[in-house]
Amino acid sequence: MKITKKAKREAKQLYRLCLVNGLLDEDRARQVAQRILATGERNCLSILTHFLQLVKLDCARHTATIESATPLSADLQSAVRAGLEHRYGLGLTTAFAQRPELIGGMRIQVGCDVYDGSVQAGLEALKKSF
Amino acid sequence: MADLLREIKDQIAGAKTTAAMQNVGVIREVGDGVARIEGLSDAMLNEMIDLGNGITGLALNLDETEVGVVILGDYTQLKEGGEARTTGRLLQVPVGKGLLGRVVNLLGEPIDGKGPIKSDKFYPVEKTAPGIIRRRSVNQPVQTGIMPIDAMIPIGRGQRELIIGDRGTGKTTICIDTIISQARLNKAAEVAGDKDYRMLYCIYVAIGQKQSTIARVIAVLEETGAMPYTIVVASPASDSAANQYLAPFAGAAMGEWFMDNGMDALIVYDDLSKQAVAYRQVSLLLKRPSGREAYPGDVFYLHSRLLERAARVGEKYGNGSLTALPIIETQSGDVSAYIPTNVISITDGQIFLETDLFHQGVRPAINVGISVSRVGSAAQLKAIKQVAGQLKGDLAQFRELAAFAQFGSDLDAKTQAQIDRGKRIMEIFKQGQYNPIPVEIQVVVIWAAQNGYLDQVPVERVKEFQNKLTEYFTTRKGELLAKLGKEKALSDALKAELKVVVDEFKQTWK
Repeated sequence: MKITKKAKREAKQLYRLCLVNGLLDEDRARQVAQRILATGERNCLSILTHFLQLVKLDCARHTATIESATPLSADLQSAVRAGLEHRYGLGLTTAFAQRPELIGGMRIQVGCDVYDGSVQAGLEALKKSF
Repeated sequence: MADLLREIKDQIAGAKTTAAMQNVGVIREVGDGVARIEGLSDAMLNEMIDLGNGITGLALNLDETEVGVVILGDYTQLKEGGEARTTGRLLQVPVGKGLLGRVVNLLGEPIDGKGPIKSDKFYPVEKTAPGIIRRRSVNQPVQTGIMPIDAMIPIGRGQRELIIGDRGTGKTTICIDTIISQARLNKAAEVAGDKDYRMLYCIYVAIGQKQSTIARVIAVLEETGAMPYTIVVASPASDSAANQYLAPFAGAAMGEWFMDNGMDALIVYDDLSKQAVAYRQVSLLLKRPSGREAYPGDVFYLHSRLLERAARVGEKYGNGSLTALPIIETQSGDVSAYIPTNVISITDGQIFLETDLFHQGVRPAINVGISVSRVGSAAQLKAIKQVAGQLKGDLAQFRELAAFAQFGSDLDAKTQAQIDRGKRIMEIFKQGQYNPIPVEIQVVVIWAAQNGYLDQVPVERVKEFQNKLTEYFTTRKGELLAKLGKEKALSDALKAELKVVVDEFKQTWK
C-alpha cells in the first residue's frame, strides 16, 4: 500500500494526540484507531497503517528485552530494571527471556539500542577480527 | 612463573567488561541495490551500515521511521528481517602512493590481481572542499602535450576543465594523452634528478564504461609507461548504480591525499553523464522526488560538491593541487541539455569536441572558437604565450574569411594570405593519439608557423614539414630545446638562435 505524505502527516498528528506526558496512552490510541475506521475516508487505511507503525515503534522504544543464557536471579533482575529506568526513564516495560545460544552474559535491547555482553557476541567479534 | 600467573590473575581481577551500545534495525525491503531498514534511529547521513554477511550499505535517506540504504555489494544475499547495524564510520577509501600503478574499485580494493595494496591511511569519500582561505589562484601549468590545448586553451594546476562532446569524438583520448604527457614529464624529471619539477600524479575514474574499454585504457597506460604514476578507479557498467555514483568521490578522495600532502594530482572523471544517470537511478529507487529529466533536485549539488574538491591550495597549506578533467557526453551536440549546462557552469572552462571536425580529419576535433579556459592563461608558460598569443584571434579570423571565401573566387592578396596561414595552422594542430608533444617542440613549431616559415610549404605537406622539423630539433639541436625548456621564455637571443636553426633546416628541406 502506498502511503502518501499527507497520510503520514495526519497519522503523525494523531499519534501526537495519543501522548500524555511523553508516554503513549493506550486508551487514546484505541479510540483514535476506531475513529479513523469509522470515518470511512478513502485514505483511512493508509493513515491507520502508518499510525500502527508509529505505535509499534513507540512500544519498542519503551520495552526492554533482556535475554540471558540462564535464568536471572530476582536481585539481578531488579538491579537491571533499575539501571535501565535510570537510563531510559520511567514507563519502561521489561521482559526477561532465556536464550541458551548466548552461552553466557546478557543481551539487552531497548528500541534500536542493543547492549550485547553475551559470550556469543564476543566470539562473533573475535571471528570478525581474524 | 609464579609471578607471571599472579600478574595475569590480577589483570583478570581488575578487568572490567563493558558492553558497548549498538544501534540496530531490521531490513524491511530489499531490491535493486536498495534496502529500507526500520529502526537505526542513530544512523548518520552517509554512514556505513553493516548489513551482515560482510555486506556494507550507505545510509542515504533518513526518514522518521526508516532509513534508505544503498547496498555496496551483492544484495541478493540479504533477506527481509535481517539485522542491520550502524558502524559510526563514514564511507572511506585507502589513500597514498601505494595506490599508484593499481586498478581499484570504489572501496579502494585492488581488482588487477597484483596483490593487496599497502596503505595505512584512509580518507572519507565525502569530504568538504577546501575553503576560501586555503585556496590560491592557479599559476602552474598542466602540460597536456596536445598543441591546440596548450597553445589556446591552457589548463593550470588546480583548474577544472570540462571536456565535452558527442560519443566517439576523442574525449577519452585527450585525457589519456594528458596522463601520458604527465608520465613522460615525471619520468624525465626523475631521470634528470630535477628536484624543482613538481610531479603530477594522475587518477583515471572510469564510470559506467564497458570492461573492454577500461581494459584498453589500462593497456595503453601500461604500454606508454604511464601506469606507475596513475591510479585507475574502475566502476564498469556491470557495477551497481550506487557504485557508479560513488566512484568519482572515491577518486577525488585519493587525489585529495596528494593535494593535502603538498603534491599535485590530476583526476579524470570519465564520464559524469553516466554518473548522473546512476545517481538518478539510485534516487528514484529511494523514492526521492524527481525533477527535470527525472533527475533529483540535488543533481547540481552532486557535481558541484565533487568538482569543488579540485583546488590549488596556498603555500601555507602545502602548496598542493588537484586538477579535474570531467568529461560530459552530449547527445547530437546538444550542449544545452540539463547535465551539460550544469557542469559547464561549475567548471573553469570547457573544451568542445565536434563530430563534424572529427570526420573532416581534424583530430583532436577541438572547436577552438567556443572552447575556453577561464583561468589557465595565468598558468601558461611565457614562451608559449609569446608565440601563441595571437593564435586564437588569427584562427577566428581565418574561419570567418574561409566561410566568406566560399562564395567568391577573387580575393585580395592579404585575405588570401590570411586564409593560407590559417589552413597551415589548422594542419599543425592535427595530432595523432597517444602522442603528446613536448612544450619546447610546440613553441618551435608555432614560432615557425607564426614567422612565415610554413607559408611556402604546400598545405598537404605541412605535417611532413612539422615532423621533419621536430626530428631535426630533437636529434641535432637538443641543447637549444633544453635551453628553451630551462628559460621558459623566448628572449631576443633565443629568437635569433631559433631563426638561424629554422633557416638552416629550411635550406635542407625539400
